[in-house]
Amino acid sequence: MIYIPVDTLDIYHNFALEYYLASEKRFSEPVFLLWSTTPTVMLGKYQDALAELNLEYIRQHHINVVRRYSGGGTIYTDEGGYQFTFIQPDTQQMIDFKAYINTIATALNQMQIPAIATSRNDLTVNDRKISGSAQYKHNGFTVHHGSLLFNTNLEQMYDALHVDNLKLRSKHIASILERTINIQTIRPDLTNQDFAADLQQHVLATVTNLRTYQLTPTDLARIKVIAKDKFQNSQFIYGHTPTTELSKKHYFKGGGLVKFDLTVKHGILTELHLSGDFFSSIDQYLLAKSLLGRPFRPDQVRPILIQQLQQQPILGISADDLLALLFS
Amino acid sequence: MLKEVHMPKLSPKSDEYFFGSWLKEPGDTVKTGDILFEVETDKVISEVQSQEDGVLKEQKVAEGDSTKVGDLVATIEVN
Repeated sequence: MIYIPVDTLDIYHNFALEYYLASEKRFSEPVFLLWSTTPTVMLGKYQDALAELNLEYIRQHHINVVRRYSGGGTIYTDEGGYQFTFIQPDTQQMIDFKAYINTIATALNQMQIPAIATSRNDLTVNDRKISGSAQYKHNGFTVHHGSLLFNTNLEQMYDALHVDNLKLRSKHIASILERTINIQTIRPDLTNQDFAADLQQHVLATVTNLRTYQLTPTDLARIKVIAKDKFQNSQFIYGHTPTTELSKKHYFKGGGLVKFDLTVKHGILTELHLSGDFFSSIDQYLLAKSLLGRPFRPDQVRPILIQQLQQQPILGISADDLLALLFS
Repeated sequence: MLKEVHMPKLSPKSDEYFFGSWLKEPGDTVKTGDILFEVETDKVISEVQSQEDGVLKEQKVAEGDSTKVGDLVATIEVN
């Protein structure tokens, strides 16, 4: 096995590193990585960002949004969590999680963390999830990656992944809400650094013929290009879902009821209908005209809403109120 | 001659998959080993390769649909 130290918290770099190793570097031996991120939400490959993410909270808290090449549900990660990755040539087309999950479960148990693998290939302690895994198979290689909650900000996790849609219609993979727990509540004596060092040591102790590979400037240059082209690509992150039909409704105290019905195609707003009993001379047609055809994301919609409401205010309701309704 | 492409079994646990995306469109030339489409099952994204050389004739499953092992997915015109 090859161990590659990862010294950046940049999710776009780290996902690009995985992809580079599977698609271009293609070591014949398995590779193991252990890494972490700044606050980030990771969508599964075929998930709908509008169904899974509170994009307004994410904008306000400067949380990274990324789409994985692997399947499954949305997760939140930060410096209080660790990600593990195994990359190796396929031995069969059939999916297999067990070897990877068991390696991590065994290491955790040796660290007095009684982790159990579930039928969904999660790891739990006392029926609470501490780890989830997903895979993608690309060009004859399997990339298996998983997350571990050590002392992740669970409140921020909840807020970033909690979104209220009155109605939502799109063909996508929906996330499953599960009860989670941070590993540090089981091993409060461990710091983040202790945990990562112990886990790395226990995983690598199971390996024969271990060698460490340091990424070269040539590797890093390619990874940078892949990060930009694939993982930072806003079309891939937000424009992946063919069609989403959404309804959002909220009663604003002192402002009234506001309802939006909208359609988003590949991340672009294509239909918008505003209704309610608010007090305004806002021109529904002009509002729609100013927003249709643009990317449906808070940073794109916000300046237009501000401008529209400056011209035609809504009594007791601000542009940011509408933004929160549209994206929360 | 027209050859049928059927959904292979990819997961020991499940026979029903989420059809993710097409990587070849009708009229595209395909070679053995080219990736035809991608499916998701059990949190895994798998690529399915062509077993034929020819031209993709018809897509029988739409992106976002649910598909079962053995379903007719596509037809390929081979010489």
